Amino acid sequence: MPSRFLIRTLLALTLACFTKQAGGQQGGHVIVGEPEPTELPQPGGMIQPPANAREVVIEALMSTDPAEQAALVRSLLGSGDPDAVGLLTAWREGYIYYHDDFEGDRFPVRFDGEADGVGRRNVVRLDNGEPVPGVGGQPMRATENQLELAFTDSRLRQAMRSVTDMAALVADNHNRRLAAVRGIALEQNPDKIEALELRLPLEPSRQIQREIEVAIAMSQLRLPEREIKLAACRELERLTPIPARDTLRSLAREAETDGDDELAAAATDALAAIERHITRVNAAGTVFRGLSSGSILLIAAIGLAITFGLMGVINMAHGELIAVGAYTAYIVQCVFQSGLRLSPFGYSVAIPGFNASEGWFQAYFLFAIPLSFLVAALVGLAIERTIIRHLYRRPLESLLATWGLSLVLQQLFRLVFGASNVQVESPVWLSGNWTVYGVMFGWNRVFVIGFALLIILVTYLFLNRTRFGLLVRAVVQNRQMAACMGVRTERVNMITFAFGSGLAGLAGAFLSQIGNVGPSLGQSYLIDSFMTVVVGGVGKLIGTVISAFSIGMADQSLQQILLNPVLGKILVLLAIILFLQFRPKGLFTTQNRSLEE
Amino acid sequence: MKLKPRILTIALCLGLAACGSEEGSPPAAGTETEIPPESEVVETGSEPAAEIEPEVAMEDSPETPPAEPAGTVEEDDPPAEVAGAAGNGETVKVGVLHSLSGTMAISETSLRDVLLFAFDEINANGGVMGRMIEPVVVDGASDWPLFAERARGLLEQDQVSVVFGCWTSVSRKFVLPVFEELDGLLFYPVQYEGEEMSPNIFYTAEAVNQQAIPAVDYMLEQGMEKFYLLGSDYVYPRTTNLVLMEYLLSKGVPLENIGGGFDRDEAGNITSAGKYTPFGHTDYQQIVAEIQQFAAGGNTCIINTLNGDTNVPFFREYAAAGMTSDTCPVVSFSISEDEFRGLPARQLVGQLGCWTYFMSLNTPANQQFVENFMNWLAGTEVAGIEKENRVTCSPMVLSYNGVYLWKKAVEAAGTFDTQPVLEQLRNGISFDGPGGTVTTQENHHLTKNVYIGETLPNGQFRVIRTFDQVYGEPFLLGTFAGGGEEEAGAVEEDAAE
Repeated sequence: MPSRFLIRTLLALTLACFTKQAGGQQGGHVIVGEPEPTELPQPGGMIQPPANAREVVIEALMSTDPAEQAALVRSLLGSGDPDAVGLLTAWREGYIYYHDDFEGDRFPVRFDGEADGVGRRNVVRLDNGEPVPGVGGQPMRATENQLELAFTDSRLRQAMRSVTDMAALVADNHNRRLAAVRGIALEQNPDKIEALELRLPLEPSRQIQREIEVAIAMSQLRLPEREIKLAACRELERLTPIPARDTLRSLAREAETDGDDELAAAATDALAAIERHITRVNAAGTVFRGLSSGSILLIAAIGLAITFGLMGVINMAHGELIAVGAYTAYIVQCVFQSGLRLSPFGYSVAIPGFNASEGWFQAYFLFAIPLSFLVAALVGLAIERTIIRHLYRRPLESLLATWGLSLVLQQLFRLVFGASNVQVESPVWLSGNWTVYGVMFGWNRVFVIGFALLIILVTYLFLNRTRFGLLVRAVVQNRQMAACMGVRTERVNMITFAFGSGLAGLAGAFLSQIGNVGPSLGQSYLIDSFMTVVVGGVGKLIGTVISAFSIGMADQSLQQILLNPVLGKILVLLAIILFLQFRPKGLFTTQNRSLEE
Repeated sequence: MKLKPRILTIALCLGLAACGSEEGSPPAAGTETEIPPESEVVETGSEPAAEIEPEVAMEDSPETPPAEPAGTVEEDDPPAEVAGAAGNGETVKVGVLHSLSGTMAISETSLRDVLLFAFDEINANGGVMGRMIEPVVVDGASDWPLFAERARGLLEQDQVSVVFGCWTSVSRKFVLPVFEELDGLLFYPVQYEGEEMSPNIFYTAEAVNQQAIPAVDYMLEQGMEKFYLLGSDYVYPRTTNLVLMEYLLSKGVPLENIGGGFDRDEAGNITSAGKYTPFGHTDYQQIVAEIQQFAAGGNTCIINTLNGDTNVPFFREYAAAGMTSDTCPVVSFSISEDEFRGLPARQLVGQLGCWTYFMSLNTPANQQFVENFMNWLAGTEVAGIEKENRVTCSPMVLSYNGVYLWKKAVEAAGTFDTQPVLEQLRNGISFDGPGGTVTTQENHHLTKNVYIGETLPNGQFRVIRTFDQVYGEPFLLGTFAGGGEEEAGAVEEDAAE
């Protein structure tokens, strides 16, 4: 395959420039601490294995001085030893341990082989790979907790990244390359410019190419030559990378004190360009965040738009139906893991889990979505049959009854799941993000927006394109007439309420990915939901959609402008109060039977 | 229409709800003789409803484990008389004032548990000066005025010798005048903002220089250059961040490298630094985007004083933005092992915490303490104590230390009277607690070890740095040399960011 050939060539090239650069290091670049002279490749030498990475890493591991550790790790930057990256990665990710043997010698070890029933594995020395003798001369076996983990602090991890990033420049994985280039840019090490320049024309991804250009320009700012700095400033003005802001700022200040007006001006221009870029990024980001806030409001309110908006039931237990959905997601998650033990009312209930593999576990949320809908719909059905059915014409009593019900349900959650919050993990595919020109689109948010739109579509089709939807609309418009025409209004009410409750459950499943899942989850969304539905106009779905997005947008814009999360919300609420003074029926008005009575 | 069943349904719902809604503590709480639901009504009145206090307090005492000779303690004996008589079979009353219901119950019930454990431990070893400790547990119900009423009840009606309690700074501020008026003694165990030293309160808590400042020192040492201050909107984060801002300026960190924004008064002096969100805030999108831009240049860390479960949406958003403990570490001051039980620990791996105790401390004293506490939990018959998945954390250990320090001070003073005991405490009393030796100071604070820990996936901390025997200093505002007024003026335009 051509790509593999390409990569091999690249690797060779990078290795070559590693050595060159090591020469440069000897030449004058200051490194912290003084590494052993023998570890450094000779200036001008070719690829030199004697810089034995393993020895250096072990020396670093055995050192007790953090500064020396970091310096030793950094000294590996020039070595062409492929061991270095593997060892440093193992160290950083916590695969290397210390062991004190019977003679009191201390040395780094790692695990090898398969774990046995109690999680014990073979322990081997890091330096020569030989098994560590345990009690009675047998090879030592241990669990992870029995050994002392080799620790890294953030300074050391930075040093490690400095080394591993160079190797990751030629990684297969796009994201790893991207992260590596970004790391190198922040490091601003002029010695790496050469390697970056070699890599630039070979980099297949346009995005990473741009980042490499940024990294080169940012590193050039650290070079002593004024001309290069000037050119780098111009380059940064073109590229407008946000990370360069801090360096440019200090450069501008330095140049000003040195009286170098041209350089100061160049840096200031670059800064101004970056600030303009940030303004654009913030504007786009605000639109996206507004959409996502709006979607959350919409998802939370859509169920209420049906039960309250269409059916006229002031359902104070709507929030708890959301919580039902969220807890369902939690249960599904636990079932995909190792099960869950509940002790409601003193009984102990164990729900077995099937310890799904990582891949399956990541998919748990896909199962949680329909189940949340179903469970909440069933709960809604039960509520409708037992309580709400008797109160259709009595909005005040239904308010009281559902409010009481909401408290009962909250207490039930406490009894079953405990008073503290439960942990619902986000699947990996929901926790990444996608960044375009500095605007970040979090997957969870994109997913919520997409799903909000999907729910609206489904609800719209359900109400307007199905026979049952027709019946619902008929009952909403005029129950008696519908009953006279032979519509079983009781049944329609029941199913409509269950559908609305199901949508609330769906909301719960999504909200579990964003916030807390606890007994009072519903309370925090209830007010917002009512607000959205009332502003939108009771009885009109489209009103709910538009009001949700408007409130979301207004909230996020105000937050962005005022840089204060609280003030924005207050202003939005004030605006809503004013709005309702002038349009008490909301954005869209309809003739609605139940509230008029 | 059948009217009756409907009304019944509603009544039933409401009735159940009223019982349930305020009940923070887990399962068996329903049977507990805690505060009856009606007491909710009491709370709203600003008048301390003294008449019902004795009943409430007495209803609570059956909760206490040792059987009490009810007749003898019921007498209206003045404290001096109690103090003088060190006879056998007598008890000494000790107040426990924590929220056992409401939002703070999740945190505070753990302190109640550890206090009861400490009392049992002391009683099993002969009590204090031969007298058994008789705890009087009252519920502050996460309601600050109620804390003051309960404190008054404990001091006036129950005549307790000492009170262990309070979590939030607000509750402490509410009970403070009561303790000063009635010359009571309160041990306060939770990290707080300082700037206070009541003659009647003993602060076993971490002062700002025993938590926030060592943590910042560590971050500076790690090469951090920019600091973003984020917290919940109340007195502790605001004061702490103000102190931190002054401290950072004194360490040569320019104002533009302190993120979160500033509030200024008319004269341009900074009155507040950092970004604040209300309790229960869920939308951290904009804040995380701002942090991301602030941190883009690297070497940035977040100083997090967010409280309780608001950390969940924040850390979710933080993770979604692709930030990690490597690119932009977070130091949290309000997340201990106990809080971790309700947080997705996986998302916090590698983030830092700073406390004067960690459950993972590898010392014999700590291992013994954890073992004893777990055994006590397994065996205790006090209603409403959660037994599963329990951990120990810094506020718990500071509560525990407080009990022993009080015991030692009482024994040194030879009396249970407030002032002689305080005198002994001021003279310096040491106790080898689970988190290392603590010593009382003249200024009502403790000298103790400070630990910086890194979060592990199991919700524990790995200790990565120890500061030995740090002197607790409550008054820090304005004490750092080179404090930033002039600097603050110089970089005014940058501060807007």
